[in-house]
Amino acid sequence: MQRRSFLKLGIGSAVVLAVAGGAIALIQPGLVNGKLSEGARSIFTSAAKALLDGTLPTDPTAQQAAINGLLSGIDDLTMGLPPHVQAELSQLLSLLGTAAGRRGLAGLGTDWATASVEDVSTALQGMRVSRIALREQTYSALHDIVGGTYFSAPSTWPVMGYPGPRTI
Amino acid sequence: MSSLHDPIREGLQRGWKVFGGTHGPVPAKITCDVAIIGSGAGAGITAELLTKAGLNVVIVEEGMLKSSTDFNQKEAEAYPSLYQESAGRKTEDKGINILQGRTVGGSTTVNWTSSFRTPEDTLTYWQSHFGLTNYNKEALEPYFQQAEKRLNISPWATAPNENNDLLRRGAAKLGIPTAVIPRNVKGCWNLGSCGMGCPTNAKQSMLVTTLPASLDKGATLLVETRALKFEFANGRIASLQCIAVKPNTAPVDTAQAATQIIAKHYVLSGGAINSPAVLLRSKAPDPHGVLGTRTFLHPVTLSMGLMPQKVEAWQGAPQSIYSDHFLKTQAIDGPIGFKLEAPPLHPVIFGTLLPGFGKQQAQAFADFPHSHMLLALLRDGFHEQAAGGKVGLRGDGSPTLDYKLTDYIMEGARRSLLQMAEIQFAAGAKEVYPAHEMATRYTSWAAAKQALETLPIEPLLTKISSAHVMGGCGMAGDEKRGVVRADGVHWQIENLSVHDGSIFPTSIGANPQLSIYGTVNRLAQGLVKRLTQQDVTLA
Repeated sequence: MQRRSFLKLGIGSAVVLAVAGGAIALIQPGLVNGKLSEGARSIFTSAAKALLDGTLPTDPTAQQAAINGLLSGIDDLTMGLPPHVQAELSQLLSLLGTAAGRRGLAGLGTDWATASVEDVSTALQGMRVSRIALREQTYSALHDIVGGTYFSAPSTWPVMGYPGPRTI
Repeated sequence: MSSLHDPIREGLQRGWKVFGGTHGPVPAKITCDVAIIGSGAGAGITAELLTKAGLNVVIVEEGMLKSSTDFNQKEAEAYPSLYQESAGRKTEDKGINILQGRTVGGSTTVNWTSSFRTPEDTLTYWQSHFGLTNYNKEALEPYFQQAEKRLNISPWATAPNENNDLLRRGAAKLGIPTAVIPRNVKGCWNLGSCGMGCPTNAKQSMLVTTLPASLDKGATLLVETRALKFEFANGRIASLQCIAVKPNTAPVDTAQAATQIIAKHYVLSGGAINSPAVLLRSKAPDPHGVLGTRTFLHPVTLSMGLMPQKVEAWQGAPQSIYSDHFLKTQAIDGPIGFKLEAPPLHPVIFGTLLPGFGKQQAQAFADFPHSHMLLALLRDGFHEQAAGGKVGLRGDGSPTLDYKLTDYIMEGARRSLLQMAEIQFAAGAKEVYPAHEMATRYTSWAAAKQALETLPIEPLLTKISSAHVMGGCGMAGDEKRGVVRADGVHWQIENLSVHDGSIFPTSIGANPQLSIYGTVNRLAQGLVKRLTQQDVTLA
């Protein structure tokens, strides 16, 4: 049997969904015209600094350029997603952008923009091995979008020792 | 960009009838002999045989028409343009990520070319459990032979790449037999980018074989056009309603009148998940509640190995060695069996599949050239605890798949992770890293074994993928157990056939493309005979 199912969300998450989800219509959506909203950019910036800690360039200017490239790549990704996936992702990012959603779903006490890499890493690890499906799914979404998008850019391939396409 | 010739662009210049997207508006009303929905494995074979018999055929494809000139070996462009949901299609609970094509040629344009006939024990099960008495090795033999000849299928004669050879060597040390995978290629350059579309047209996908042959014989191809639903009259399909869609599947214009296709016969070849969805949207008769059920995925577990030597798993034929040993160590309806193969690795795939994050993962990224990966595809559909998923519809008409990863399946996942780790250590791995969120990098077989025997092997924690979608419009000898008859015709709709992987009543237990080619070759020859009294063959 699957212990993880939406119907068995912990009490805390159910409250988060009721409070934050009910108010989602009043809150900034995660995607605007298929691209990341300001709030969503803040979430991905913060998540990427933790997820790609040790991989991102350490020089602040180079790191900022890498993150800008990542956010632009995520915009390209989300624009290409079917409407139902865009809607779901938009709702998830919207929820994570609320204080209640950030605390209840991500387990992050401080704002995405001001949280340290250590705090965000702790929150990500909590979601990663959580017994609550929605938290695990949220981790997977952030992990896969950031990891997949970052390494889709040729500028990142040297880190992996990947030579790129063969000349034909 | 490829400097080689491009048979699609050349065909377009010759005047192929292609409409939709950048190819011009689709006529508001089209009349033809046969309308085929989809352009993948089942559609391509069917189209070639129908057009050979002189029938007027229209092919309806939701994806775009991309060809070798577009196939530039870059994941960032290939996944959004060639796959369902940018290669991120997921089951309802997000427990399984599904790779499925969405382009002209369907999954055959992006698959890794592994070509196996339907295993005999699978056919035996269909005979005994689904009344498919004429699905046996002898009856299918000529149809497989023709498909293999038409698509140049033969065991890969070149040396396997290191990623595959590690499977061969590791298994051999443990006394586990392996064999060479047959591939559908002609003049393969051994590039390794099959999953992004073949830039040299070596892969004998539907895109470069049956579809050009059909278009040369006058078939019409509609692209970026969704088969929305059938309209019924007097128990038969009266027409097929279609709409234009954008590259991301959103309707171009919700107010725009649909294109209507009126055909004598309709062939549904959208593939599993999509074909049942067309019938669900059409509110097609389903008196026994079987439509969309028994959808199978061959759930896949993955294991990373760190090798002292370079593996460079991105280069060379992606799949060339396999082992069926663990499909045969127990009865087909006993504990779930699995097939072992090695998958290609490219940066985006690696960046998403590699569990974990942060500094630990940074080291793993740096180790990419030394990374080896094995996969185990679990044979679902032969046990009551592996009865497959169910296709449903969202409010916008797009399909969902509710697939439960049961304890029975996850027990097999645990066994497969153990077995892959043992093989990787036997092949010389310094570390093995199972694709599980609570696993770490194990430095010995003993440590990996101890951990994998106790880790919670549960959905979401265990990374599960799928590249094989089957079932949902199952074939059976009686209408209570299936959506279509043994000849592929719908049990309740006389002028509709289903010709794709959705008709399989279980999973195949092997990469399914040749099972689709062979089975559909037979079904389509029967359809041609019924429609025209002619005998045609594929090769």
